[in-house]
Amino acid sequence: MTEFLQLVVSALGFGGIYALAALGLNIIFKTSNVVNFAFGAMATAVALFVWTAHTGLGLPTGAAWVLAILGGGALGALTEGGFMRRVEGTPPLVSIVMTIGLLLLVEGLAGVIWGYGPKSVPTVISGPSIAVGPVSVDRNDLFIAGLAVAVTLALYLFYQRTRLGLAVRAVAEDPEVASLMGISRRWVLGLSWAVGVALCGAAAILVAPAVSLTPTMMDDIAVFAFAGAVLGGLGSLWGALVGGFAVGILSDLIAGYVSANLQLAVVFALIVVVLYLRPQGLFGQAAQVRQ
Amino acid sequence: MSRLPGRVAALRSRGRRDLAAAARSALRVPVLVTLVVLVVALVFPRFQGWNTTVMGLATEALTYGLVTMSLNLLMGYGGQVSVGQGGFLAVGAYTAAIVATHFGGLPFIVVLLLAGLVTAAVGLLLGLPAGRLRGHYLAVATLGFGLAVPEIALNGGSLTGGYTGLIMPPQNLGPVTLNNPVPVYYLALAVLVVSAAAIRGVLTSPTGRRFMAVRDSQDTAPAMGINVGRTKVVLFTLSAFFCGLAGYVFALNNSIVEYSSFDFSLSLFFFAAVIVGGLGSMWGSLIGAALLVVIQQEAVSLGGFSEAILGVAVVIALLLVPGGLAALPRRTRAAIAGPRILRRPAGQTGTGPGGLPGQPPAPSSPAGASREG
Repeated sequence: MTEFLQLVVSALGFGGIYALAALGLNIIFKTSNVVNFAFGAMATAVALFVWTAHTGLGLPTGAAWVLAILGGGALGALTEGGFMRRVEGTPPLVSIVMTIGLLLLVEGLAGVIWGYGPKSVPTVISGPSIAVGPVSVDRNDLFIAGLAVAVTLALYLFYQRTRLGLAVRAVAEDPEVASLMGISRRWVLGLSWAVGVALCGAAAILVAPAVSLTPTMMDDIAVFAFAGAVLGGLGSLWGALVGGFAVGILSDLIAGYVSANLQLAVVFALIVVVLYLRPQGLFGQAAQVRQ
Repeated sequence: MSRLPGRVAALRSRGRRDLAAAARSALRVPVLVTLVVLVVALVFPRFQGWNTTVMGLATEALTYGLVTMSLNLLMGYGGQVSVGQGGFLAVGAYTAAIVATHFGGLPFIVVLLLAGLVTAAVGLLLGLPAGRLRGHYLAVATLGFGLAVPEIALNGGSLTGGYTGLIMPPQNLGPVTLNNPVPVYYLALAVLVVSAAAIRGVLTSPTGRRFMAVRDSQDTAPAMGINVGRTKVVLFTLSAFFCGLAGYVFALNNSIVEYSSFDFSLSLFFFAAVIVGGLGSMWGSLIGAALLVVIQQEAVSLGGFSEAILGVAVVIALLLVPGGLAALPRRTRAAIAGPRILRRPAGQTGTGPGGLPGQPPAPSSPAGASREG
């Protein structure tokens, strides 16, 4: 039992990372109906921004994080304004092709700029683990999990309690009516992409110290985030949070009890089963997702 | 009144003839071009001095060409996305190596067909759930598939050889042992030509027209009596079959099958090759695959540029050259003939009868918006 609890608690860190990345995916999907397949490469670019700002320019870590997150926001807005805008209203196949083209482009450019040698960035929180009864909790994991919950809550309040949040929801609900109400669809989409990519970037910054930071760092991790987003329901905030943690815990249990090399396969099976039985996920609205 | 059914039948059969004729003429690549390419492919080893490195690369181009064709069948003609085609290639290659290792005496054709059939079975299994999904959901599912297959192979114990992989034993083709790049090249060429002919045959058949009907509109296809779910499962199974055949050639050409050959970027590269070559064009697939081999070959000197170039090519193909490289001659002709042809309303270029191959679901046209929700 202790082992089980320890595995679940150890999953807090990665669960939070998947949740943050899934949130980023869902924010974009909610307004633009596009799954950003390029998010892994874009998020990795944000983590590499941190490396450049911290190791390259010698900025303090806090400033490096803030700059990198802002850079991620700019990258997201640029993606929307420069590329996604041109394929708006086209069949899904077209936007899938576009985001995969961008995935290749960004990942390749990251390789050109930063090279493929592994780099290291500082951990956000360090210090001894906290003992809670028989299990020990890593401070950094706790911080990441808390951050994921806080970000979800903040986004929820933003969507429900602010005028801008209302505008975003209006665009997600019905773009044409929203534009008749004087809401700038362009602005809302740009904002969604900026926040979405910035959040994925935050996930990459948090995961980078735990793995080696290379341009392809997020290739595998992206699948866990996709699984989290799909499990919770594409476009859903709380779904991303719950889905991200569920995937984190599941893969941790697989690694602990079965084999560390089977995580991807089990997560793939999870994606297929969820999409087959409940394509809208746990929290999503029943949209037209099947044939 | 009594003559009505007869009239309907007559109309229907005429419609069928029209459709069949349209599909045939659309698929008719100038026979001369095909012959010339084939002759060049047959004699070219003789003229570059049987260089084994070049032969290996040429075989790789043929293998990738078949994979890209199988993916194009799925995406360009069936309108279904797969971001994990490398997974099917891996299943085919592993099947070939496993069968050839454990049953050394089997004739090559049996091993080849088994690689295709086992992969087709996997395609069927994936198609059953995937056939119910559309758009982004399908892409996410196939992405997971592409990543999961190499990992499952890694955990396959002695069956798949784990980290070290499997050695593909040399195959015998009658008196010829396929342990040298030259016979392997000719085998790859034969497999590609037969598969391409078979894919063409499928596309001109009612099954192929069902694929295109599902591609053009998943909402009106059922109204024409098409079972969309079943059509998609058939599509996935067929695509996987041809990809599995390519897996056999891949195993033979690389002589070792290891999980690291099938990393995620390979699936992305196939995806890019289809788009750059041209959705819905078999020739485009071959050109895209050949470019892919060239870029991969230069990857050491190009570094990240190889991936970035592919990304840029995909974006350019999507935004500026719908139809990819295969559509370039037609677009050039149109540009020379005068701007009038190019200024045709975008909605008219996309749909021909049965969805003309070579004129893909015109990505940036507003008409495309109505297709596939």
